[in-house]
Amino acid sequence: MRNLLRFIIQYHVFILFVIFEIFSISLLFTTSAYHEAKFYQAGQKIKKNLAYKIENWLDYFSLYKENKKLAEENNRLYNLLKSSYKISYIDSAFRGDTLSPRNFTYISARVINNSTNKKYNYITLDKGRRHGIEPEMAVICGDGIVGIIKTVSDNFSVAFSLLNPRFSVSAKIKSSGYFGPLSWKGTSTSKAILEDIPHHVMITKGDTVFTSGYGSIFPADIMIGVISDYRLKGGNYYEITVKLSADFHRLNQVQVIRNEFREEIETLEQKAINE
Amino acid sequence: MNKRPVEIVILFITVILLQVLIFNNIQFSGFINPFIYVLFFLLVPFDFSRSLLLISGLSMGLIIDLFLGTPGIHTSATVFIAFIRNEVLKVIAPHGGYELNVLPRISYMGFEWFFKYALLMVIIHHLILFYFEALSFVNFFHTLLKVFLSSAFSLAFIIISQYFVFRK
Repeated sequence: MRNLLRFIIQYHVFILFVIFEIFSISLLFTTSAYHEAKFYQAGQKIKKNLAYKIENWLDYFSLYKENKKLAEENNRLYNLLKSSYKISYIDSAFRGDTLSPRNFTYISARVINNSTNKKYNYITLDKGRRHGIEPEMAVICGDGIVGIIKTVSDNFSVAFSLLNPRFSVSAKIKSSGYFGPLSWKGTSTSKAILEDIPHHVMITKGDTVFTSGYGSIFPADIMIGVISDYRLKGGNYYEITVKLSADFHRLNQVQVIRNEFREEIETLEQKAINE
Repeated sequence: MNKRPVEIVILFITVILLQVLIFNNIQFSGFINPFIYVLFFLLVPFDFSRSLLLISGLSMGLIIDLFLGTPGIHTSATVFIAFIRNEVLKVIAPHGGYELNVLPRISYMGFEWFFKYALLMVIIHHLILFYFEALSFVNFFHTLLKVFLSSAFSLAFIIISQYFVFRK
């Protein structure tokens, strides 16, 4: 017993080190995605007020770029207005009609925290449940898709960034229309990988990649990026590198998209599977 | 002499605030993420209790992890360098050992010694940190590049701070 005590006293530093290190490594390996998100939220709660103030201040530095972006976006929207179309009355299927039911609602939000340098990146937005945001909604910015809402509180929400290997979206190539899953592999912050495109499809560098609109989260034809490189993987499928059009280092204003028919689509699909 | 514990506590809080509020927002192309809180482990006095240093390593790591949302990654790295510091000091000890009432800073120990010391500590810390974050050797060279670029940046900050803040 005395020998044990002496041993402990003599090597207490090393014993302490081993205990601490085992504790931290177990912390690292036992946390699930759920716990990680919870842990992240706890840290965010402390940081939120602080971050909010700093973000308010930093906003001024990007005012010029934001203004330019807003002007471009406005321009695009003006072009979509009904008054900018010459509607022939024979074509009664004008789809932007206010009488036809609304499919997608856009909620604008501001990014108050954003990471790009980790393996699993998250984005915190300043709008939450009170503003109509729910989990599994799409997040886009003027340049392209950004991510997908993961958790919401009353006033804030946290989204998986596209720069998160747990995020995947169905994407299609503009020229050929072929689609496959697109996700980030943890390397460059401006490149994602599009997979499962069969080998007979003609692929050209510089071709644009859009969301396919399959699944009920992202609307179709939202820009993701352009093809920068491709190679055959295993002989049958291409692995295509897509240069992302959104700059994740400079996110500020984003739009959260709510699909009004999502529940209806999903229950219908569930019903088809169950029958 | 009695001011020392207060100074150490202030240093502890300052490096955390600097890291969380400023340096976590510095990301050049995803490769350079400086972690300057290593400064704390560099600057505590030579005779600082080792078990106390381990405990501050654990708490520092947990706080940084909480802010960054990365459970365990920073904690394992900080605990490790808190433990390894004495061995590093032994390896690079000048002839005749360390004098009394001397602090591990450039103003006391000279540039060459401090640079060796800071380089070893920062590289060890960043290596553990980035490989634990990647949790694999799949992108081995990508991670290695990240380690070296970020280390260079952290080191630069640490050396500069010696000339502006921690003068005699």
